Amino acid sequence: MTDQATEIDPARIEELIAAEESTFIEQNPRSAELLKRASQALAAGVSCSWHSLTPHPLYGDRGRGSRLWDVDGNERVDMHLGYGAMAAGHAHPKVVEAVRSRMGLGTHFALPVEDTVVVAESLQDRFGMPLWRFVNSGSEATSDAVRIARAGTGRDLIVRVEGCYHGSPDSLDFSYWPDLENPDARDRWVAQPHTAGIPAAFGDLLRIVPYNDVRAVERVFDDEGDRIAAMILEPVMLNVSAILPEAGYLARLREVTRRHGAMLIFDEVKTGATIAFGGAIEWSGVTPDLVTLAKAIAGGVPVGAVGGSEQAMAVVVDGTMEHEGTFNGNPLSMAAARATLTEVLTRDAYDHFDRLSAVLVGGLERSIGGHGLPWHVNMIRSRGGLQHVPRPVRNFREYVEQSDRLIHLRWLYQVNRGLFEPGSDPWTISVQHTEDDVGRYVENFDAFADAVTA
Amino acid sequence: MPANGNDRVEIDLGLVEELTNKETAALDAKHRRSLEYREVAKTHLPGGVSSSWQTWPPHPIYVDRGKGSKVWDIDGNEYVDYHNGYGVMVMGHAHPKIVEAVQKRVELGTHFAQPTEDALVCAENLAERFRLPYWRFGNSGTEATMDACRIMRATTGRTKLLKIEGTYHGHHDSLMVSVFPSKDAAGPRDHPASVPQTLGMPEGIVEQVVNVPFNDADAVRRAFEEHPGEFAGMIIEPAMSNCGLVLPDPGYLQQVEDICHANGALLAFDEVKTGCTLAWGGAVEAFGVVPDLVCLAKAIGGGLPCGAIGGTEEALGMIIRGELDQVGTFNGNPLTMAAMKVNLTEVLTKDAYRRFDEVNGIFERCQTVIDKYRLPASVKLLGAKGSIDWRSTPIHEYRDLWEIDDRVPQLAWLWQLNRGVFKSPGSKWESWSSSIVHGDEDVQRYVDNFEELASAIAS
Repeated sequence: MTDQATEIDPARIEELIAAEESTFIEQNPRSAELLKRASQALAAGVSCSWHSLTPHPLYGDRGRGSRLWDVDGNERVDMHLGYGAMAAGHAHPKVVEAVRSRMGLGTHFALPVEDTVVVAESLQDRFGMPLWRFVNSGSEATSDAVRIARAGTGRDLIVRVEGCYHGSPDSLDFSYWPDLENPDARDRWVAQPHTAGIPAAFGDLLRIVPYNDVRAVERVFDDEGDRIAAMILEPVMLNVSAILPEAGYLARLREVTRRHGAMLIFDEVKTGATIAFGGAIEWSGVTPDLVTLAKAIAGGVPVGAVGGSEQAMAVVVDGTMEHEGTFNGNPLSMAAARATLTEVLTRDAYDHFDRLSAVLVGGLERSIGGHGLPWHVNMIRSRGGLQHVPRPVRNFREYVEQSDRLIHLRWLYQVNRGLFEPGSDPWTISVQHTEDDVGRYVENFDAFADAVTA
Repeated sequence: MPANGNDRVEIDLGLVEELTNKETAALDAKHRRSLEYREVAKTHLPGGVSSSWQTWPPHPIYVDRGKGSKVWDIDGNEYVDYHNGYGVMVMGHAHPKIVEAVQKRVELGTHFAQPTEDALVCAENLAERFRLPYWRFGNSGTEATMDACRIMRATTGRTKLLKIEGTYHGHHDSLMVSVFPSKDAAGPRDHPASVPQTLGMPEGIVEQVVNVPFNDADAVRRAFEEHPGEFAGMIIEPAMSNCGLVLPDPGYLQQVEDICHANGALLAFDEVKTGCTLAWGGAVEAFGVVPDLVCLAKAIGGGLPCGAIGGTEEALGMIIRGELDQVGTFNGNPLTMAAMKVNLTEVLTKDAYRRFDEVNGIFERCQTVIDKYRLPASVKLLGAKGSIDWRSTPIHEYRDLWEIDDRVPQLAWLWQLNRGVFKSPGSKWESWSSSIVHGDEDVQRYVDNFEELASAIAS
């Protein structure tokens, strides 16, 4: 597919990819060997399908601060940060201390501990929601949020934005990356399952709309408003680079949902504590009924959370909706979350993110301009992404008009030159990253831009 | 005390209620700080807890710390822990090897978007235990069974699932059906209704799950006959673990597997509770049947949040070939893998399970107590797990619970709690999970408390 905006010759991209993939293979022989052994016991040799990189997975050895070392001893600046979870940076001393001391005191009782309340208070301080429940992942958080909305409203339908990612629960795992060759997906906004094995009955309860399109949302609510339990979205889309909401978009969603008695759910698993101290709620000034969190809030220990207003959480308070999970609120996750929220991702951290993001964005924009490339950068504090188009994309379909081969080449340029970033997911920086770290991103980007414009 | 026909006494429920009131009052006196703290906690957490089950009556108990076989609550009360976080801590709290492993790993980075070698070591160990070659990791039992459902559906191209009435497989939509159905809602035994376990579950989803009684292979056969070509698979706890401990009849599990396979469906064992607790190799080892998929969580992670799914080459084929995504941010994260590796390779070794034979040798004394006082009850023991069924014949399937008055197990729970023993709450059953570090005196305390209870209620 030709990248129309830049007119970079696809054959040139393929030639460069071939060269870079050879380099990757040369630089990562132990990872390749480990893959062979790992494939005997781990399905596809990895513990998560996203780890299956092209040409082959990389196996991690250790991380510290802004750096990650793989089993070949390659040191890379880590701007992947575990899908944006490590905003605290690797092995942050405060998180290390909290985990180390909790280990000696017991990590799991299936009973509450005091830190559970401390973490909830801290989240209320950031996000404004008074009531919280803890779970083990973003997927559990979004699954619970949907159920809370259904139970609370007595309705079944969920409005979902195409291209947002809400984890793997059956109730939401549709239209996350729809195949637009499929006319149903393209023309009729029918919910398209992410994988095989998801019953159509779940998709039948979803109504899919594009991001940044209030009219589409209003139409859905005009047709079926009294059957809609909630609308859920990533308030800033962070699944396909970083796509910002247009002015007033989120406020209009709040107004439409409220008018129809439906809940508004902000899935802040990616934006929570990364784009602002109080996530997208603070950044946008719009307050949803429920918010879901995970990833960055516990400094690298698995945790998820659902927060809501008294009204939204009423079914959990009165027990009509059963909410559970063996490891919910376990002391280890809570200790790590407490340290992360109260001692690492403090308000100062966001000033640090502002400073570094200015350096990164400034450097990239200079390079983009210098190479005459009609490309664009979005960044909010610790999360940002590149778009190979001159104006910011507004939704998933505009994003996927870009060449995925170009994106893969960009990724290869970075990984082969000491920087690990995601592909289409936006990058993340941590409190331990420095100007030199983001400077390396810019340097590698320069090399990539040189190569594609040569 | 009038005896019923088969020489067991009939328990005086009026007496049980009287004793319960006394025990509850005694508990309140010991839990002042927990009671106060609950008022603070309720302003931030619904019910003052992180999970609805943590509010078990009379009130939540807030824990301060745990070590070995003991936990201490925030009032400073010490308990021998037989709840063990729903059967997770069978290695004991703060096991030194696991403490060391995690303390080391946390300084080396706990989470990358890359697998580490420890994930492979864990997978190899699990493959040996459960006789299934391929593995993936997640963060909970809920995620493991969710993955199982998706794998079974994707591999067969079918949608419906068969499960056992009265089993809990985690809280995702596909299996929160007929977990604990009431008598009113459950329908006839030979065709149990599909009952949503909670509000917020759409009808179209609930009806994808068909239920049959445990320990009844004919019921499984009939279900397949009545739904030809519809079942993607069956998921079963090989020993039911949510109604006390209910063991499978000899031959039952093999018959179930044969029926599933004869009908082109897959079989998943939910070994979240039985894995690494009933035996080194869980129910696969204990009962000698290897399913297509095994779901694990709880005890495998040494006390850290964890989940795993293992399967045959055919069952995991789509994932292996990249045709089916199995994903999750924290899947196989280095911290969990470090804890799990040490737990599986150095702590819960084959030798370690011998300790449960010794522990159960003492727990068996509960049966002596039962016989002495002619209580309508029986004891079940296997590995780390045990239960007392408050019924003259052991619980054999879910509906047997309906004959049990929950006031008796609730008294038993309070009784133990007041006498320094913490065990899993449960309305109609009494069950526990021990650990490899529980001492003989820890087990004897349970038995002694039980004898005191027996004497009080059989009088």
